[in-house]
Amino acid sequence: MTNRSGFRRAAPYLALGAAAAYLYYVAANIQYSARAGTLGPDFWPKLVLALIVAACVYEVVKILLLRSEAEVGGVLEELAGESLEHPLDSAQSAAPAKPRPWLLVGGIALTSAYVALIQKLGFFTATVPYLALFIALGGYRRWWIVAATSVLGTLLMFFFFMKVVYVSLPLGVPPFQSVTLLLMQLFGIR
Amino acid sequence: MTEILGHLANGFVAVFAPANLIVLVIGVLLGLVVAVLPGLTLVMGVVLALPFTYNMDVTAAIILLTAMYVAGTYAGAWTSILFRVPGEPIDVPLLWDGYPMARKGKPAEALGWTLVAALAGGLVAAIVMVLASQPIAKIALTFSTPEYFAIIFFGLISVVSLGGSSLTNALISLFCGLLIATVGVDDTYGAERFTFGVPLLSDGIDYLVVMVGAFGLGEVFVRLEQGFTTVPLEATGRIDTRLPRWKEIREAKATFARGSVLGVMIGLVPGAGATVASFLSYGIESQIGRRKHLMGTGIAEGIVAPQAAATASVGGAMIPLITMGIPGSGATAIILGAFLLHGLQPGPQVFTSSSHIVYAVFASVFVALFVMCVIGYFATRLIVKVLAFPEVIVSAYVVMCCILGAFAARNNITDVWLVVVFGVVGYLFERFRFPVAPLVLGVILGPLAETNFMTTMISYGNDWTVFFTRPVSGTVMVIALFALVYPLIRHTLHKRRTRGAHGG
Repeated sequence: MTNRSGFRRAAPYLALGAAAAYLYYVAANIQYSARAGTLGPDFWPKLVLALIVAACVYEVVKILLLRSEAEVGGVLEELAGESLEHPLDSAQSAAPAKPRPWLLVGGIALTSAYVALIQKLGFFTATVPYLALFIALGGYRRWWIVAATSVLGTLLMFFFFMKVVYVSLPLGVPPFQSVTLLLMQLFGIR
Repeated sequence: MTEILGHLANGFVAVFAPANLIVLVIGVLLGLVVAVLPGLTLVMGVVLALPFTYNMDVTAAIILLTAMYVAGTYAGAWTSILFRVPGEPIDVPLLWDGYPMARKGKPAEALGWTLVAALAGGLVAAIVMVLASQPIAKIALTFSTPEYFAIIFFGLISVVSLGGSSLTNALISLFCGLLIATVGVDDTYGAERFTFGVPLLSDGIDYLVVMVGAFGLGEVFVRLEQGFTTVPLEATGRIDTRLPRWKEIREAKATFARGSVLGVMIGLVPGAGATVASFLSYGIESQIGRRKHLMGTGIAEGIVAPQAAATASVGGAMIPLITMGIPGSGATAIILGAFLLHGLQPGPQVFTSSSHIVYAVFASVFVALFVMCVIGYFATRLIVKVLAFPEVIVSAYVVMCCILGAFAARNNITDVWLVVVFGVVGYLFERFRFPVAPLVLGVILGPLAETNFMTTMISYGNDWTVFFTRPVSGTVMVIALFALVYPLIRHTLHKRRTRGAHGG
């Protein structure tokens, strides 16, 4: 194990450990009226945070100082694993697909933008392009299916949530609100 | 016994009420479709169905989710057998004998064995569930806070020690869940914890938001990075179901019994679930079965063992949920959520306060099994067609269900933001091999664990040894601690054995 790969493996534990240490500091400053002889509301979170820090330190020491790659796994999964003596089928043995981080970043950004805009654009106006873009981002290129799925699916969800389960979906602000109001009129939603 | 049967009869009456029966059939259908659909796991499916139950009657809501849970352990087998595509991780063992049997020109027989195994395993577990729950609840009524804390501690530890590829990662995941559960105003002192001045955080982080985000959205993000696929439908033969003859079933009775009993036992242990039951049952059959030397060549035992265990684990997992309020699997954690959403806390008291609901749920398991088998027998050909549905479209709608589900709970956009945040957290957990299940269980059981721990500390003058000195809590704590160190012991022994073997 090289230094670089070691640091890469230890990075999540270092980040998590540091965050836990900071939160421990926050927990230590929780304001409350102490009662003599009883544990305060800070005790439980401090205990949990101390355990997170301890687990992270253990992993960091194991990876960076002891340079160990050994992992102790769960009992039943190990037992189940031992029963897998069969030559695995193509479903399992196929090489994992090459990760496409830009797709992931695009998906997260698109979803975040959707959540940020839904209250301004209204449910229908925001959801149709979101679904179409998400499906296109996922690599699907039969455009008429993309369009039909996005529009019909959104209309179906709109009807179901507003009319059947009485969830008040975001209406949007003018001028987008008029689209939602028109649909509500069409579906007989008050 | 007579009392239990009386309650169960009333439960059947409730289930056969038209509204509940329709909900049950819908639940079974959804469970079957979810198990077959690419990009949608059983737990995700049950999570996504939860928001649709917000305005339902509590009995109907639990019936819907339970029916989905039961059926979801069955239909994935069809795609394993016919297309060599396991619908769920549960169904991977079905590839080893189910698919070869189909390749031998007997796909209908393979599907028939699956159906009978699911029915037998499910029925055995349902009977155990009905007979054991009330006595267990009666014992649980005598418990005080140390006992409850010990049982919750055992539940939390077992999810760590049983599953996951890294014990430390599973522990960290659990601790993160426990920490998330502390956000908000503390019950005892009214002190604000980790709210950082955000008003909505004062109410705490709803565990449903964590579940929907981490299980639903997180999984979609993982699949998005890997790239979506569509499975070509090339079945190994005509899609039909042919039931095995009674004589053949009798010849495999030991396999049915082993699979069913193992499934119930695994289901009882919090954190294990249907996947472990299915793998373990196949493994045991390979070691002690009558035709163990033929396992993997396409024999009935290789289908019956995993399928019976997987479906039997449902009844097993319902027992700790109903009697103690401790979920035994991801799906039961969501069912617990549905109970709590409707203001009902599962636990020993539920048998006195809401026995009609409990027995309706029990009866629904029996009815769901039969409905599942009828639909399975006649509609396999139709339902497997959803396998060809593009995964990306399914995933887009999964995201929508996640967002709408979070929004519908409190009509608040902050909850939706939290779902996105926990979606990213779920992705990062998967990416860095931290299991998500302990995180979710930590968020769900965290408040219960803290309340019982703090109440015990207040009642017993901060004497923590009380957890070990009372007979029940002491025993459970020792078992839990042993469960925690057992993987380490096993790992060390295994390493020594391997070293010994290599040394000569």
